Amino acid sequence: MKRRQFIAFLGGAVALWPTWPRAQEARPVIGFLNSGSPEQYKMRVRAFFQGLGAHGYAEGRNVSVEYRWALGRYEQLPALAADLVRRRVSVIATTGGNPAALAAKAATATIPIVFQVAVDPVQAGLVASLDRPGGNVTGVTNLNLEVGPKRLELMHELMPNATDFALLVNPASRFVAETLSRDMPPAALIFGKRLHVLRASTERDIEAAFAEIARLKAAALIISPDSFFTDRARQLAALSLQHRVPAAHNREFVEAGGLMSYGGNLLEVYRRVGEYVGRVLKGEAPRDMPVQQAATVELVINLKTAKALGLSVPLALQGRADELIE
Amino acid sequence: MSPRDSAETRAAQVAAPAEAARVRKPLFRKYFIALFAAVVIPLLANGASEAWFGYRDHRALLDQRLKLESAAAASKIQDFLDGIRDQMQWAVQLPWTEGGDERHRFDALRVLRQVPAIVDLALVDGSGIERLKISRVGRDVIGSGTNRADDPAVAGARKSRVWHGPVRLNRGSEPYMTLAVAGNRAAVGVAIAEINLKLIWDVISAIRVGETGAAFVVDRNGRLVAHPNISLVLRGADEETTARLKALQTVTQAQGGGTITATNIEGRTVLPAMTPIAGADWMVFAEQPAAEAYAPIRAALWRTGILVLVGAMFAALLAFALARRMSGPIRVIESGAARIGAGQFDHRIRIATGDELERLAQRMNDMAKELAVSQERSERIGRLKRFLSPQVAELVESAGKEDLLGAQKADVVVVFCDLRGFTAFSAKAEPEEIMKLLAEYYEALGAIIMRYAATLTHFSGDGLMVLLNAPVPCPDDPAMRGVRMAEDMQAAVQALIAEWKKRGYGLGFGIGLAKGIATVGRIGYEGRHDYTAVGRVANLASRLCSAAEDKQILVDANLASAVTGTVALTQVGTRELKGFGESVAVSAVSAKAAAE
Repeated sequence: MKRRQFIAFLGGAVALWPTWPRAQEARPVIGFLNSGSPEQYKMRVRAFFQGLGAHGYAEGRNVSVEYRWALGRYEQLPALAADLVRRRVSVIATTGGNPAALAAKAATATIPIVFQVAVDPVQAGLVASLDRPGGNVTGVTNLNLEVGPKRLELMHELMPNATDFALLVNPASRFVAETLSRDMPPAALIFGKRLHVLRASTERDIEAAFAEIARLKAAALIISPDSFFTDRARQLAALSLQHRVPAAHNREFVEAGGLMSYGGNLLEVYRRVGEYVGRVLKGEAPRDMPVQQAATVELVINLKTAKALGLSVPLALQGRADELIE
Repeated sequence: MSPRDSAETRAAQVAAPAEAARVRKPLFRKYFIALFAAVVIPLLANGASEAWFGYRDHRALLDQRLKLESAAAASKIQDFLDGIRDQMQWAVQLPWTEGGDERHRFDALRVLRQVPAIVDLALVDGSGIERLKISRVGRDVIGSGTNRADDPAVAGARKSRVWHGPVRLNRGSEPYMTLAVAGNRAAVGVAIAEINLKLIWDVISAIRVGETGAAFVVDRNGRLVAHPNISLVLRGADEETTARLKALQTVTQAQGGGTITATNIEGRTVLPAMTPIAGADWMVFAEQPAAEAYAPIRAALWRTGILVLVGAMFAALLAFALARRMSGPIRVIESGAARIGAGQFDHRIRIATGDELERLAQRMNDMAKELAVSQERSERIGRLKRFLSPQVAELVESAGKEDLLGAQKADVVVVFCDLRGFTAFSAKAEPEEIMKLLAEYYEALGAIIMRYAATLTHFSGDGLMVLLNAPVPCPDDPAMRGVRMAEDMQAAVQALIAEWKKRGYGLGFGIGLAKGIATVGRIGYEGRHDYTAVGRVANLASRLCSAAEDKQILVDANLASAVTGTVALTQVGTRELKGFGESVAVSAVSAKAAAE
């Protein structure tokens, strides 16, 4: 009898060997909110997914992405953001500037948001402080607003004798426009330049702006960081060549034929955004993730455009450039 | 009731208490424990020693590995810093001469381009005046003229060629560091660079220790310089983080050879190792989570543990089975012995193990058989002793001749005796007095009868009938024996009578003897037999006894003629004895002899 009981006990112990049930998780969804259009942002989006992949997530395999492109029309951003919130995405990645980030922040206080902006997030009202964002918002800044004066300086180096420069802003991106309009003219004065601020929110505005530049006889144009302008890189480049106005903007602009680009390496920035999104998906809270800044700032000069514009790029500037397109 | 029945009831009565008695240290338990221990202890010892040595070896390996990893990480970071320093050398190669500023600016720009980590680069001339500062983000400043001779960076670089400043957080969240490099002579001045240390992160993040381990860097003040988790660095000097870092540092420094486990910044248990970076006075830590580091050990321990467990279970089963087999037969023997001890002599212990236990059981069965035989024998003797003297009983029994008790004719001497005045006495006296008296009477007479090896065939009240020469013949002349015995009996009882007289009892004692052929044998029914003599002789002796007065021993003519010459006899004459018709010649043993 004892023997039988013992064997029964053994059998029971083996049968009760725990098999852990696999937890079935719902696949997370990333809301990708961008002020621009897909074509121009292709490389950056790829960098974003590179960063996401560092945490083991791949689109289609274990995460899905809902894209919302405002196509340069910022007034649509709040509606697009609300739509993403309604779909109950796991995290919203807003790329392409602070209008998208602000729209997302206004739309939800619970869904985590990871932004990519050119502004100072604290001043723009996105986070409480850089090292402790608080709330549900965090992200990466690309310093493009900060380097505004530097762009002036570089342009000044190119054209030391000019007297008038122009600055193109997009009033739809209110914070950027206001900050630049306020800070750039005094900075330009230091270099002995008068800075004319021009506004454009649509394609037609851009053409009008260039006409104005011609009228003002401005020697060069600084284009403010803005996704609408990024979208219109080709148009801006073409107009710049057409009106023979050297302009400085971002990499897409230079690749499209513009003269100069100075600013954070956006591919790196987007990669960092992707990494942050990965971490949020893994469970980290944005309130504990400090805002990152772009680690590298690059100068890209299109020598072909320079020749077309009849400019000779000084050796110092060439030496300083991180990339020269010929 | 047969003897067999009585034996069985006795056995039943004894068996119950025997089973109720608990064994203090059961044999089964002893065997079980011994066998179990015999298997499990070596198993455990082996498992434990294997685990211990495996653990030690693994830890030594881990220690080595971690030190290597931290050294490798340190060298990578050293390379990063050295690379920046080397590039900066390009800016301090040419002396500061008048009009040479543009060349310096060019050099500086190229260094800036070459080292993305540099945020701004200032060039100071031989006398400590800042000649230019180019910035990646801020405005370039040419010829500011600021005197930076007292700047620790300049002083430090002048003294030791390279100066590493402390790590500080720009805007509270970005790690910056000042690096100053001096040329080979004073005239070339010093290059001071603000370095954004975020660029080291790529180096740090790429470092893998094992699967999940990583490296990180801590500066001389205990602040994180680089860590795979950027947030921890950017968060800055958070209290909890600093405390943890300090603890980690102290523990790792106190290491002195052996591996230790500690809690890392994120609060997990890790194995750390540390390597310093001399120039910048930083510490590079390589850590591996304890879980991963010990996973192989844990796996081995699990394996050993499971093996030991399985072995133990097997040992338990085996011990159980073996102990059962060993203690089983013993239990059978035990209960068998209890039964036999209780009197069940026909119980046989059945054991077929083929070993010494079977032999033991066999011996016990033999013993039971012997006991049964001896019990029967003693029962028989007991029965015989009722009327035979012990010696005769033994004789009859050992001779095995129960047929001695069979009916036959024998030349016997019959002795009758009783107390005079007993009836009157018993009517008057109390029962206790009567019994006491009878007890003394029989004690005295019984001793004498035993001494003379006579057969007490019958007694009732105060009268006895004793037989000589049957069932076993006397070794000597039965007649003489009878007379001597009667004399002794008279003497003993007379002594008693004297005592009794003192108590107030008036009693006498008379004996009658007769010799002749009588029929002897057992009479009675199943379970209740008596041995007796039947015939004229018996009747004669009885009558003679009745006729005898106090102190008298009357014998018949036959007996008298047998003992004439040896015993003094007195002719008493003839008596009319009831049942005998004619007068019988009676003699009496002489009073002198009788009075003695």
